[in-house]
Amino acid sequence: MAGRNTRKRKTEVRRTKFSNSDKRESGPAVEKPWWKRRRYILGILAGLFLIYTIYLDFVIRNSFEGKRWALPAQVYARPLELYPGQKLSARQFAQELELLGYRYAYQPAEPGSFSRQEAHFYLVTRPFQFWDGREASRHLEIAFENNLIESLKDGKTGKSIALARMEPPRIGGIYPAHHEDRILIKLDQAPELLTRALISVEDRNFNTHFGLDMRAIVRALVANVKGGSLQGGSTLTQQLVKNFFLSNERTLWRKANEALMALLLEWHYSKAEILEAYLNEVYLGQDKGRSIHGFGLASHFYFDKPVERLELAEVAALVAMIRGPGYYHPVRHTERLLQRRNLVLDLMAQQGVITLVQAQSAKQTALGVIEGRKGTSSYPAFMELVRRQLKQDYREKDLTSEGLRIFTSLDPRIQSEVEASVSELVTRMDRQRNLHETLQTAVLITSTNNGEVLAMVGDRNARYPGFNRVLDAKRPIGSLVKPAVYLTALQQHERYNLMTKLKDESISLKGGDGKIWSPKNYDGSTHGDVPLYEALVHSYNLATVRLGMELGFEPIAANIEKLGVDERIPPYPSMLLGAVELSPMQVAQMYQAYASGGFKTPLRAIREVLTVEGKPLQRYSIQVEQVVDSVSIQLLNSALQEVMRSGTGRSVSRHFSDKRVLAGKTGTTDELRDSWFAGFGSDYLGIVWLGTDENKPTGLTGSSGALVIWGDIMQRLDVQSLLPYAGDQVENLPIDIKSGLVGNEDCKEVVFLAFLKGTAPKRYAECAGGGERH
Amino acid sequence: MFGIKQHLILFIILLLAACTGPGERQRSAFQVSEADKQAEDKILPGVQTSKPVLALLQQANDAARDGKLHTAESQLERALRIEPRNAVLWHYMAKLRLHQDRLGEAAGMAAKSNALAGRNKKLQADNWRIIAHARHQKGDKKGALEAQQKVEALLKE
Repeated sequence: MAGRNTRKRKTEVRRTKFSNSDKRESGPAVEKPWWKRRRYILGILAGLFLIYTIYLDFVIRNSFEGKRWALPAQVYARPLELYPGQKLSARQFAQELELLGYRYAYQPAEPGSFSRQEAHFYLVTRPFQFWDGREASRHLEIAFENNLIESLKDGKTGKSIALARMEPPRIGGIYPAHHEDRILIKLDQAPELLTRALISVEDRNFNTHFGLDMRAIVRALVANVKGGSLQGGSTLTQQLVKNFFLSNERTLWRKANEALMALLLEWHYSKAEILEAYLNEVYLGQDKGRSIHGFGLASHFYFDKPVERLELAEVAALVAMIRGPGYYHPVRHTERLLQRRNLVLDLMAQQGVITLVQAQSAKQTALGVIEGRKGTSSYPAFMELVRRQLKQDYREKDLTSEGLRIFTSLDPRIQSEVEASVSELVTRMDRQRNLHETLQTAVLITSTNNGEVLAMVGDRNARYPGFNRVLDAKRPIGSLVKPAVYLTALQQHERYNLMTKLKDESISLKGGDGKIWSPKNYDGSTHGDVPLYEALVHSYNLATVRLGMELGFEPIAANIEKLGVDERIPPYPSMLLGAVELSPMQVAQMYQAYASGGFKTPLRAIREVLTVEGKPLQRYSIQVEQVVDSVSIQLLNSALQEVMRSGTGRSVSRHFSDKRVLAGKTGTTDELRDSWFAGFGSDYLGIVWLGTDENKPTGLTGSSGALVIWGDIMQRLDVQSLLPYAGDQVENLPIDIKSGLVGNEDCKEVVFLAFLKGTAPKRYAECAGGGERH
Repeated sequence: MFGIKQHLILFIILLLAACTGPGERQRSAFQVSEADKQAEDKILPGVQTSKPVLALLQQANDAARDGKLHTAESQLERALRIEPRNAVLWHYMAKLRLHQDRLGEAAGMAAKSNALAGRNKKLQADNWRIIAHARHQKGDKKGALEAQQKVEALLKE
C-alpha cells in the first residue's frame, strides 16, 4: 500500500512539473534532477551489491576450504612382506601388484612399474611411510618356485635381500554419514588424459578465462539455436559453483549468482585447486540412496579400478556422463552413452589431445562398465569392523575429516579366496535345497597366533554393505559350545582325562522356564558308557548334558566368559547343548583361545593409526593372556583333532592329499536352522555360519553346510597342520579303541590321544602284548 | 652375517639396559639373584631363526637404542608374524612390555613364550622371572614366590 501511494505521489509531482514548465526558470527546483537521483539509487544498489559480494565471498571461502580439507581417514590392508622362503606364488604376487595398481613396463624404472617373465618379476616399489619408518622405493628382483619366494634381490646391485615390504593396498575410506560419497583424489593422481578430456569437452578455455567464458556462452547460444551441441556455456568453475552451492533451478537469479561466485572463486584460488575440487565434486551417478561424486569414486564404481588406471575409452565415458548421469546411464542407456562417449573421443582428437588413430581404436571398445560393484570399499564387512573398533577411540568428526591413515590386518588374498568359496558354495547349497536365495552366511578368518582378523564376509554377496552377520547376527551356537563343557572337565586332571567313561543315556531335567526338558541325541539313539573323547567327537548330547550336570553350570559359564565371550551365559541345562546366542565374532573369540594354546587374544582389525603427515598416533598392539593352562588345552585339542579324523568333521580330509592335522567342531541347531563350523590349523582359525535371516530351517547340518565351506576355504589357504603346545608335560599315545588301553600298530583300531603324563591308561592292550606300562 | 649377531647382542643388552631404567627401581623391591641375571644374558635367537626375522631384530635393536620402543614393538610384531612360534621373540616382547610398565601383558607374553619354549630351560626360567616380577608388582606375593621357585627349579635342572 505504502509503495503504491508513493508511486502515485511521484506521478502527481511529475505531472505538476510538466504542467508548470513555465515556472522552471522563475524559482529554485523543488526536486533534484532525474539523473542525480538515479546516481543516488545506483549508489545504494552498488553498496548493496558490494555487501552481497562480500557475503558471497565469505560463503565461498568458508565452504570451499571446508570441502577441500575434510579428508576422510584412509584405510589400508596389510602390507605384503617379501622374503625368501615365504609361502607366496607368482600368481598371488601378480594379483597383489594388480591390486596396488602397478603398471607393466618393458624396462621398469618408475615406482609402481614391473616386468615379468613367467615366475621372475622385476619391479620398482613405491615409497611408503609406515609406523616403523619409511620404506624407500627400491628395485626388486623376485623369483618364485613351488609356490614360494625362491630368491629376493636388489634389482640394481644384484645382492640378496633378507626382507622387503610392499606398500599396503588401500581398501577404503571413512566418510561422513550423509548420502554423498567420494574417494578424494589429488590432481596429480588424475591421469593427464582425464583433465585434458575434461577441459576440451567441458571448458576449452579453462586455463585462460576468469571464471566466465563469453565466447563459450555465445557459442552455446548459437549451437542451441542451430540445435544439438556438445559443449555447454558453463565453465568448469561455474559448474563447480553450481554443484557446491546452488540448487538446480534455472532462474536468472541463480545464473547471476553462479557467475558472481565463479568470478570470486577464480579470484581466490588457482586453476589447479579449482580443477582438483571439480574432479572430486562432480556428480556422476546414483547408487540407490547414495550419490556418486568425483572421478575417484566413479572409476571404482563403474570400472572397479583406481582413477590412475583408467583407459582412454573409460576416461571418455566418464567425461561423457557429466552432462547427465541419469540420461547417459551406462546400463539403462548404453547406446546413448556410447554415442556421446564417441563424440567425446572425436572432440579430443579434434583438439589434438589424442591422435585420430587412438580415438578410432578407443571407439571400437565396449563400455566395459562393471555391474554389481557396490560401495567405496570392496570389503564392507571388514570396514564395518574397523569403523567400530576406531569409534571406541576416535570421534566421528576426526575420522571423517582429519585424513588419518589406518593400517589394518585384512589380507586381500585370503579375503578373495573366502569370497570365491562363499559365492560358489552358498549359491549351490541354496539351489540344492530350494531356499530361493534366502540362504545367508557369515565367515571369519583370523590368525591363530596373534588374533588378527584376516578376512570377513558378512553376506552371501560379499560386496553388499548391509547387515553384517559376522558382527550382528546372534544365533544359537549348538554344539559349538561343547568344547567349553569338556574343557571344564579336562582342567580337573585328577578327575577326568580323554578316556574317562561318561554315560550317554536318557535324562530329563527342569529347564529355565520350569518345564521338563528331555534332550535327545541327533540320531535318537543312546550309546551307554562312552569315553569322554568319543562323546565330544560324535557330539553326543546325552553324555554332554550328564557331564555338564556333574560339573555344574556355573564353572562352565565362567569358563566361557574367561575364554573371551563378552556375554552373560544363562545357567540353564539347555545351555550345555548350545542354547546360547552368539555372533560368529564372539564364537571366533572363544575358539581363538583353543587355537592359540589357551591364550585369550583379543581379535583386532587395526594395527596402527598414523596422522595425515604420516606421524605415529596410536598402536593397537597384540595382547595375550593365559586363561587356560596349556596342558588342558592340549588335551581338548587332541579330541577336536579326532573330530576331524573320525567324527563329524571327517569329510574335510577329501580337501587334502596329505594327512593334515586340524581341529574343529560342528554345530547344528533345532530343525537345522543354523549350520556352524569352527576349526583351526596352526596358522588360521575359521568360523562359518549358514542360516536364513528369517530363522527358517535350511536342511543343512554343521557337516553338510558350514563344514563344506570351511574345508574349501582351508584348502584354498593351504592351512598348516597343528603343532603341539605344552612341551614335555603331555604324551600322545595310541589307544586301542576296543579295550581302551594303550595299543600299538598291531592293534586293529587305534586312536591317538593326548594325556597329561602319569594319567594315561596304565596297561597295554592285548593286541599290543598286554602288561603294565612303565 | 657380520654385524647381525653383534647387533642382536646389543639389542638384548639394550633391552636389559632399558629394563634397568625406570624398571630397576621397581625391581629392587624384588630381589633377582646375580645367577638369574647371568641366565638372562644368554637368551639369543635360536640358530634356526630366519634371516628376515634377524633383520627385523636388528631394526628393533636400532629403534630400542634410540629409545623408540613403539617402533621396536612394531618390528617385533612383524617378526612374530613371520615366526609366530618363535619362543624367543615372545620373550623379547615380554621384556619390552616390562619396560613399558605393562606388567600384566609382560606376564602374558612370558607365559606364551613358555608354552612354546620346548626344552629351553634358560628361556623358561627367564620367562618365569618376568612373571614373578609382574606378580610381585601387582601385590601377589604368594604367586610371585611360586614363580620365583620355578625359576630356581628350572635353573637347577
